[in-house]
Amino acid sequence: MVVSKSDLKKFFTSIQSEFDVFVPYETEREVDNLVIKKFDPEKEYVLEKYRTVDPVRTLYYFPSESVLPPSPKDKKRIIAGVKNCDLMGLAVLDDALLKDNFVEPNYSQWRKNSYIISCDCTDALSTCHCVLLDNNPYPIKTDDGDALFDINLSPVNNGYIIKVGSRKGEELLQKIKEVCSLKEVTVQDKETREAQRAEVRKKVMDINADFTPDRNYDVISENKEPSVWKEFCVECVQCGACTNICPTCYCLILNDESTKEEFKKVRSWDSCQLAGYAEVAGGGTPREYKWETFRNRYQCKHNFMKFNFDKLGCTGCGRCISCCPAEIDLREVIQSLQEV
Amino acid sequence: MSDKNPYDVLKADVLEVIEESPTIKSFYLKPEKPFEFATGQFIELSLPGIGEAPFTPSSSHYEKEKMWVTIMNAGFVTNEIHKVKKGDVMGIRGPYGRGYPLDVFKGKDVLLLGGGVGLAPLRCLLQTMLHDVDDYKSITVCFGARTPADMIYKDQIDDWTKYKTVAHLCTVDNCKEADNWNGRTGVVTVLLDDITIDPKDAIAVVCGPPIMMKFGTFALLDKGFKASNIYLSMEKKMYCGFGQCRHCVMGKYYACKDGPVFTYEEIKNEEKIWD
Ligand SMILES: Cc1cc2nc3c(=O)[nH]c(=O)nc-3n(C[C@H](O)[C@H](O)[C@H](O)COP(=O)(O)OP(=O)(O)OC[C@H]3O[C@@H](n4cnc5c(N)ncnc54)[C@H](O)[C@@H]3O)c2cc1C
Ligand code: SF4
Ligand code: SF4
Repeated sequence: MVVSKSDLKKFFTSIQSEFDVFVPYETEREVDNLVIKKFDPEKEYVLEKYRTVDPVRTLYYFPSESVLPPSPKDKKRIIAGVKNCDLMGLAVLDDALLKDNFVEPNYSQWRKNSYIISCDCTDALSTCHCVLLDNNPYPIKTDDGDALFDINLSPVNNGYIIKVGSRKGEELLQKIKEVCSLKEVTVQDKETREAQRAEVRKKVMDINADFTPDRNYDVISENKEPSVWKEFCVECVQCGACTNICPTCYCLILNDESTKEEFKKVRSWDSCQLAGYAEVAGGGTPREYKWETFRNRYQCKHNFMKFNFDKLGCTGCGRCISCCPAEIDLREVIQSLQEV
Repeated sequence: MSDKNPYDVLKADVLEVIEESPTIKSFYLKPEKPFEFATGQFIELSLPGIGEAPFTPSSSHYEKEKMWVTIMNAGFVTNEIHKVKKGDVMGIRGPYGRGYPLDVFKGKDVLLLGGGVGLAPLRCLLQTMLHDVDDYKSITVCFGARTPADMIYKDQIDDWTKYKTVAHLCTVDNCKEADNWNGRTGVVTVLLDDITIDPKDAIAVVCGPPIMMKFGTFALLDKGFKASNIYLSMEKKMYCGFGQCRHCVMGKYYACKDGPVFTYEEIKNEEKIWD
């Protein structure tokens, strides 16, 4: 099915009483300028282009919130314009926060209450490198089970091809049909989609021409040479920006805010890049030096999470590169390690 | 997916507080409903409005109505916990983690090697094993402390050694003449010179300060214990207790959910396990 751009906006406008709708808007910055916000019918949003500045994780896992009792989440949400690198991030968070017998109460509620309308990328930033991680700048639904999106949109002249990825997507499609007049997908639409996907993929490949796509991540843990790592992190100021902005980071601290009447626990984001992260009473810590702390993020993303979840903890979104005040490029670090 | 909130807290009344040593106190708690756990597992104990920290119950896991927790004053939260009095209210959540595999221990010689407040989980294990004492070939308790005044659970030794298969050895790092100490002096590993069990198939369970765990493990290996028979209770920084805060990650493993009890064989290749 194909929905026209104007119809889709009509749908978002009409559904607001039932759903909180979130969409990306452009800011004044020239590049890397998409910010996800509450839908405003008066403004023009952007579903395509590239990823937003903040990962979609921030809508599921707040910087600070009560987990006991869980914070209320009554209203359903539609989150639109989500890119594949963020969907892959949610896949990691699902493994981390919903598996075993321990289900994170807030995250699981948001996952249930939120409907994701993803979109193919139509452009890429200089930091984008999903292709190095075997990901694509567009999501695909495999045959086994639900996709990570409920609906995916592929831009075709003045509209979008709708691909349903889950039961929730079916539900959403019914609601879209109530407001929009959908057209059948033509052969030409399909060709446009494929050509555009190939083009963006090539663009991301070209951006990353200096980096080897077949990377060996074991070298991160294998390389314990302080001088090598010290060189990488000379300028790191341990600000933690790289972890706070990552779609797969979820480290937390808990604060007890109980009163005599009620037990209350508040969870806030933490960062393995901050001093004292793993320090125990008495001052012992497994990572005494800055290079060890710096290396831990690389190990966590590429070695530990791979072991824990059977998937890499890096989706190639490039945010940690864009935000680093020291201009440290994780691609370069990994590339250098290949060549040591 | 379970609907239970993993952060749920049970109210626990403080029934009694005992001063075990100048820095260690034991708290007798009565949770609002019976609390099931397996020896070696831990709880998150909170002092309302102050904070929360992980501890191992120090009483038998057969005792479900009430539990002892033995706590060293080591910093901010534990210092506040040390001010808790009989009649106060605390919070318990858990149990978390993988405890001691008693089925593996059964029929074998079991050696408990502990120091300082590390005796807390070992007391839990010991009390639990004493419940079925005939199931174990023998139990050798080797406890160490800095000085005689720091040695906790002294008054319970007779209760333990009344069983003919249970032996108790202890040492202090140093003592003064006035202490009237008639045990050994020296670090806890000196006690290994005195043990009579055959290390080949014996189980060793180690808990204590990191440095003691490290040298204790090496001494046991020297003595002939197998790495796969040495059980360590790992203490790492933890918040959640169930694998979501990631602070306790030791390479591939979470100390909280894959442990806190590991064999040395399992973790010997991970980096910085002793720090
Ligand atoms: C599985 C396990 C079992 C244990 N069993 C026992 C036991 O049976 N008995 C025992 O005595 N000890 C036990 N411990 C050790 C005990 O948990 C620590 O001694 C305790 O956490 C120290 O906390 P503290 O706040 O007093 O120390 P601190 O040194 O003040 O804090 C320790 C760390 O926690 C951080 N921290 C402290 N307060 C807060 C706060 N409010 N918010 C955020 N961060 C904070 C600090 O930054 C520091 O890095 C166990 C530990 C583990 C992991
Ligand atoms: S963003 Fe850059 S400077 Fe900040 S902690 Fe990460 S690597 Fe270091
Ligand atoms: S490590 Fe960097 S590039 Fe990889 S997912 Fe996290 S923020 Fe994106």
